[in-house]
Amino acid sequence: MTSAGAEQALKDRLAQLRARYLQQLPDDLAALSALQGRLAGKEQDRAVLDELQQRLHKLAGSGGSFGCAELSAAARVLEQRIGSWLGAKALALDAASRQWLADEIAGLYCTVPAQSMEPSEQSDAGVLPEAPRTADSVQKVWLVEDDAELAGQLGPQLQSFNYEVRVFDGIDALKRAVEGEQPDLLLIDVMLDEGRENATARLVDCPELKALGCPLIFLSDKDDFPSRVRAVQLGAQGYFLKPLDVPRLVSRISQIFDERHAPAQRVLIVDDDADLAEHMRLVLTAAGMEARVLDAPRNIMDTIAAFRPELVLMDLYMPEYAGTDLAGVIRQHEACTHLPIVYLSAETDIERQIEAMGRGADDFLTKPISDVQLVAAARSRIARARQLEERISKDSLTGLLKHASIKEAASREVLRARRIGQPVTLAMLDIDHFKRVNDFYGHAVGDVVIMSTATLLRQRLRQSDIIGRYGGEEFVAVLPECDAENARRVLEDIRRNFAALNFNHRDERFGCTISIGMVCSADYPEEDGTNLLVAADEALYRAKRGGRDQIQQAFPAPAS
Amino acid sequence: MSELQRILYVEDEPDIQAIAALALETVGGYAVKTCASGEEAVRDAEAFAPDLILLDVMMPGMDGPTTLEALRGIPALAEVPVAFMTAKVQPSEIAHYKSLGARDVIAKPFDPMTLSDEVRRIWQGVA
Repeated sequence: MTSAGAEQALKDRLAQLRARYLQQLPDDLAALSALQGRLAGKEQDRAVLDELQQRLHKLAGSGGSFGCAELSAAARVLEQRIGSWLGAKALALDAASRQWLADEIAGLYCTVPAQSMEPSEQSDAGVLPEAPRTADSVQKVWLVEDDAELAGQLGPQLQSFNYEVRVFDGIDALKRAVEGEQPDLLLIDVMLDEGRENATARLVDCPELKALGCPLIFLSDKDDFPSRVRAVQLGAQGYFLKPLDVPRLVSRISQIFDERHAPAQRVLIVDDDADLAEHMRLVLTAAGMEARVLDAPRNIMDTIAAFRPELVLMDLYMPEYAGTDLAGVIRQHEACTHLPIVYLSAETDIERQIEAMGRGADDFLTKPISDVQLVAAARSRIARARQLEERISKDSLTGLLKHASIKEAASREVLRARRIGQPVTLAMLDIDHFKRVNDFYGHAVGDVVIMSTATLLRQRLRQSDIIGRYGGEEFVAVLPECDAENARRVLEDIRRNFAALNFNHRDERFGCTISIGMVCSADYPEEDGTNLLVAADEALYRAKRGGRDQIQQAFPAPAS
Repeated sequence: MSELQRILYVEDEPDIQAIAALALETVGGYAVKTCASGEEAVRDAEAFAPDLILLDVMMPGMDGPTTLEALRGIPALAEVPVAFMTAKVQPSEIAHYKSLGARDVIAKPFDPMTLSDEVRRIWQGVA
């Protein structure tokens, strides 16, 4: 190889390593945020701060080698500050310090260069991915359980929900395994080795397992307080008592994965200063959000309808229209009454700020605003709006959309499908003879069946599909950019897997089946979402009459 | 003193390990053996017969100083120069590491393009 060739090979390899490092950074930074979120202002924070300090130390020591010198420097400052906190005799972080830390950690995103170090050769290698890419891949769930019988039961049930399961009989086996591979979630029995080993106590002393950073759920046959507290301190996201309520456990697991793969936060920027708007867009994008700049004020409602922002950053003074005017227009639309609007302006006159707030906005950020502050402000507001939205629109038993919300989603997706010239398929699913389950086994068991259906749908459908609980035992799935043939394949898979699920009630095992009616927008070019749902419902009725446990597709009546 | 050829590099972070190995092998032209832990280093070091050992300070299990002490206990390695690599480089800390028997300290984050020069400088200081 010529020396020029060797040099190029070296450059390529360096760029590759940098790309890999950058790709993994969002997860590392998210782990910092998650740790920070566990700080409570008490002495118990010490363990969390230790962990934060170690992780920041690693970032400080690595960033610069991968072209992120600023990240190294910022992480160093945080590491040292945490060190000084830890040096204090009594640990009691006040709210202001914790907020400062939260903002600084959020700000670390901004220190990462948005472009790769070798832009000419590796155009997209270093760009921070918007969200982890594992959304549709199989999740690895590792179970540490010395009770072979329980492991033998739980393993296959988890597999039927599409998780890849590995079983270990103790912490030591787990420790050996994590050297080569890492799970996406850990399920650990508290009592191992026939009660001689307490897993929560062991894990407290296992830095390599604590450093895994994957969600943790404990299983226990005893409700003992010290283990529960240690589980909390270890950051466990669940503590399930035996006999295990498997559907609830699976539902919790899928919830945890859903949270991790939440879509990027969407921000609409309205500012006549094009340079500043573009700067804010880049800052928010670098922090993993999806940001868009409004091109012309009169397009605001179309842009909101298409982009569906979760936050509008609005300049107060613009030449054509004032920010307050545009906020007023947004608020005239009923669907946008909950959309958070935050004014951005150099205005420092408090009375004028208050007056502006009175006109449709939620808050006021004064320019110049630092990148760190901008990201933190957007992130926290959207997170809060999402929580609220969740409470309003989601069914509490299944975590799926409620009737009105899924209907709305169906209408929206049918419109969108027409606009982009792609098919969307709607499916209506109904559990067969559900009333018998309730009558035979009671409502609690009925709820388990409902939850399992929800979990299975979540598992088997794509992240981009929308699922709702339409009625008692009736569900609706909206499959964007999916034609009838592909939809049928997926739904058939769901039907088969549902029939294979086993439910337990007092040692009695029983199964259920599901009937499905589906409709594809391509077959009904003129109809809206509401009418397509009616057609799907009719197809469902045919599936029921045809003997249940089957799929029927709606077709328009032939023209007479 | 002979030429610097063989470097044993102990680092638990896979990313850093990969980029340092690349820097030392490709840029510096050294033969590099990497170990992911102090335990691994103590087990494999003698067989590799390194000219120089680079030790990360903060590692789970055996940390850098503990590993150094263990390596010093192996007669064949007792004289092999060791440099620490760490993100903490206050002057007092450098002095502390040297008092433990390290020849020098390399600051993290390192620049992959100049890491080999730095290693060579340390080696020549030894020679």
